[in-house]
Parts: sequence; C-alpha cells; structure tokens
Amino acid sequence: MYLDFAATTPVDARVSEAMQDCLTAGGAFANPASIHKAGQRSRRAVDTARRQLAELLAVDPRCLIWTSGATESNNLAILGAAQFRAHRGKHLVTMPTEHKAVTECFRYLEKTGFEVSWLRPDANGVLDPARLQASLRDDTQLVSVMHVNNETGVIQDIAEIAAICRSRDILMHTDAAQSVGKLPLNLAALPVDLLSLTAHKFYGPQGIGALYLADRPGARILPIMHGGGQERRLRPGTLAVHQIVGLGVAAEIAAREMGDDARHVAAMRDRLWEGIGDLPGLLRNGEDAPTYPGILNVSAAGVEGESLMLGMEPVCVASGSACNSLSGESSYVLRALGRDDLQAQSAIRFSFGRTTTENDVERAIDRYRWAVSHLRALAPAARLAS
Amino acid sequence: MTAPVSYNARVRQRFAEPQHAGDLEGRFDDTLTACASASDQGARVQLTVGLEDGLIGAATFRAWGCPHLIAAADLVCERLPGKSVQSLENVDLAHITEQLCIPVEKAGRILLIEDALAMLGAQDSNR
Repeated sequence: MYLDFAATTPVDARVSEAMQDCLTAGGAFANPASIHKAGQRSRRAVDTARRQLAELLAVDPRCLIWTSGATESNNLAILGAAQFRAHRGKHLVTMPTEHKAVTECFRYLEKTGFEVSWLRPDANGVLDPARLQASLRDDTQLVSVMHVNNETGVIQDIAEIAAICRSRDILMHTDAAQSVGKLPLNLAALPVDLLSLTAHKFYGPQGIGALYLADRPGARILPIMHGGGQERRLRPGTLAVHQIVGLGVAAEIAAREMGDDARHVAAMRDRLWEGIGDLPGLLRNGEDAPTYPGILNVSAAGVEGESLMLGMEPVCVASGSACNSLSGESSYVLRALGRDDLQAQSAIRFSFGRTTTENDVERAIDRYRWAVSHLRALAPAARLAS
Repeated sequence: MTAPVSYNARVRQRFAEPQHAGDLEGRFDDTLTACASASDQGARVQLTVGLEDGLIGAATFRAWGCPHLIAAADLVCERLPGKSVQSLENVDLAHITEQLCIPVEKAGRILLIEDALAMLGAQDSNR
C-alpha cells in the first residue's frame, strides 16, 4: 500500500522497457561522447530524451543540463549562479520552507561571505510577493523559491515572483522537483532563469535529473564540478544514457497523461480527506493555499508521530517529510507555517500517484482512523489537551 | 517512507493490543498515580497502581510517545502485581530493554518509566 509518491514514484513500465534497451549490447549502451557509430547511436538517444523533456517544459533543448537529480541541480543552480555573480553583489533571497537541498546551499553560501534573506511564508505557506519586493536590494543576485512544496503541496506563484526578479535583473531559480510532469509548466511564458527537476518524481528512474538554464544574457552559472566538457562544460561526467532515456520517456508520457493523472490524484486525495476529516483535532496543512492535488498533509492533536507511523502500517506514508523521517526532528516546514512542535511531529503526508487505487485509499482511511483513535485512547489527559 | 525504526514482534504486539492501558476505574480503594515527562512537548508516561494488603494488585498505564515506550509501559505493568510499592524506587528495567530490543538512542524513554516508578515509591514513603 504505497501512498508516498512525493518521495519517489515507481518507474513506469514503458520507461523501464525503454531503459532496458540501452543497457546491453545491441542497444544504446555506448558513451555518447564517442565519435564511432555506437557512440552516435547513444548520442541520438540522449538528444531524443533532451527533446522530450524540452517539449514538456516548452524550452529550447539546448537549455537543459543533465544532472544526477534535483539535489545536484539545486546545488549547481544556486552555487553556480551565486559564484558567477559574486562580483556584482552577494545578497541572495530564499525561504526557510524550501527543501534541504536548497536551504543547505544557502547556508553554505552564508558561511562563505554571502548574505541571505530568509523570507517566511504567510500562515497558509504562500510567499507574499510584496514581502519579496521589500527584501530585494541593489546587490541582490539570486532568488530561489520552490514551485510545489514537497511536504504540503502548496504552490508558489512563481510567475509573479519571476516577473519581479526579471524586472530587476535578478536571477530566479525554482526547485520544481514536485511539479515537473505533474503540473503544466510553460517556461516559454515564464521568466524563470533556472529550474531544477528530477525524473523519479514523475515515474522515471532515480539518479537522473536536469537543470534548465535560460538562454538569455546574464543567465549564467559557474560549474561546481570539473572534468570533461560535457553539458556545455557545466556538468562534467559521462552521460548515463539509460537514465536519460528513462527521463525522456517519462517526460513524454507525462506530457500526454498529466491531465488524467491530476484528475486521478485529486479524486484520491478528496476521498481520503472525506474519510478522515470528521475526526476531531485534525489540521489540514496548506488548506488555505493553492495546492498540488497529489499531496494531503494532516496533523492530529494528541498523537505521537512515530507511533502514528507504526499504526499506519502496512500503508506507506511519510512523517512530515521523507528526509526528516531519518532525523527524527519535527518538520521545519510546518513549524515555519506556525505549527507548534506537537502539531508538526504528528503530521502525516499522504501522496498519491498514477497507480493509486480506491482500495489503497480505503485501507489508508481505515488505518489512520484506527491509529489516531488508538493512540488517543492511550494518551494521558495532558497530551490530549495539547 | 515507513517508520524508520524497526520493532520486534513483542513491541508490535503490545503496541497494537496493550493489555494494561487505561485506568483502574474504581477497582481499588487505594491507588497511586505518577506521571513522568521528558519535556513540555516530549514523551510522557503515567502509571497507576492499585494496592491490596500493602502490595500491588494491578497496574495500568497511559503513554504519549513512541511504540517502544508504549510496549515497555505495558510490559512493566504486567510485572508489577505482587510487588511492594517501596520496591519500585530502585527498579532496573534493563531486562525490559533487552526483551523489547529497545535501541540505545531511546534509552531516555525507558528512563521515564523508571522515573514514574520511583515517583510511585516516593509517594508511598511519604504517606
């Protein structure tokens, strides 16, 4: 029972089949940098995938740089842009509700002489554009705001944010790991300069992603790794053809099926909330904001998070955030939205996908209702009141 | 992801079907209750014992915390009948930790139970 699609998705069978064809002799297995015939076959497979992803995003294929995933894309975008523009200024802007692959880049830059403004969202998780406007300075070089939050599904208005940045010649980066392949993204009409994505969030393989870098004057970055001249000398290393092919096919499928997927996950989310929403003391995190319909984040008063996770078994869900599950800390994203520690630690993120069934959702409803009731029945009165 | 910690079969059983959860609800004329808490927003365990002829007749718990804490509290309550309350001031729960395979990073949760037991013993001494 898998309801953790925001952490990763299973590889679509059509994607897997295309990847298999690249792995063995007779397939596109060769190094695409080689000039022989086998290498050129791989090169064509990579070019096809680049075109497939470019069509999904409505961009020029030459603007796409292959990476190992969204974490690397975020590092390359943020560190690379900040360093390229360091001679012009060292002020950067982001939010504390970003994924750690973004916040930790900014924290690193703070240690190396950059100044970062951390903009808090409103209580619903959305950044007020006026707050962004007020934070910008003459020496601001980069703004990074994610498109869809990985914990709450809250959607930021990146069109307005990017327009504000473009009007002041400030680079705008967005971590779109949770939106690419799930929500329409027309970068031809969006003044975003840098966009990070990863294949495994939209039924492609793990270990492959991309960075979009706009083709315009000023939108430049420095590499953060050094080696061969691949990917416009911005990301060295032999290209992983099978992974790239997988990403390309996943992108092509997403472009075709995104609407159906969105309707399906919205129906699954609505049914789940309908099945649990009458329990007392629940908080739906991100409720008052526009959200991606494939994520439902719920806190429960009087319930301890780790026990709630065990009570949910065998339904696979995330506690707060998949990454935070290892640390045992309550979600910093939810705390930034004004939730207290008890509310944040009890949060469960349900996330739905293409293969989620009504039976999965009904089972999750049963387990959640049982777990919350069971744990509340065990709790001392002092905890039930909190 | 699912829960990051592994739980043995005993923990799973006692977590899902604790036999000693709740209150004593008038079963004893003489009861003592103690509650220990890690912090304002941390784990909390409440133990109640019912006394008969100076010995513990039954024990129950309430807990807000991880599955290991719930299972350990249930197991402790199972073992209290027949003991004197004074003997609770120096209880060592090492055998409980071993039986439930409680990881070392959770030792603090088990200390909460020891604290609650010691509080029960101290309450009895002060009567």
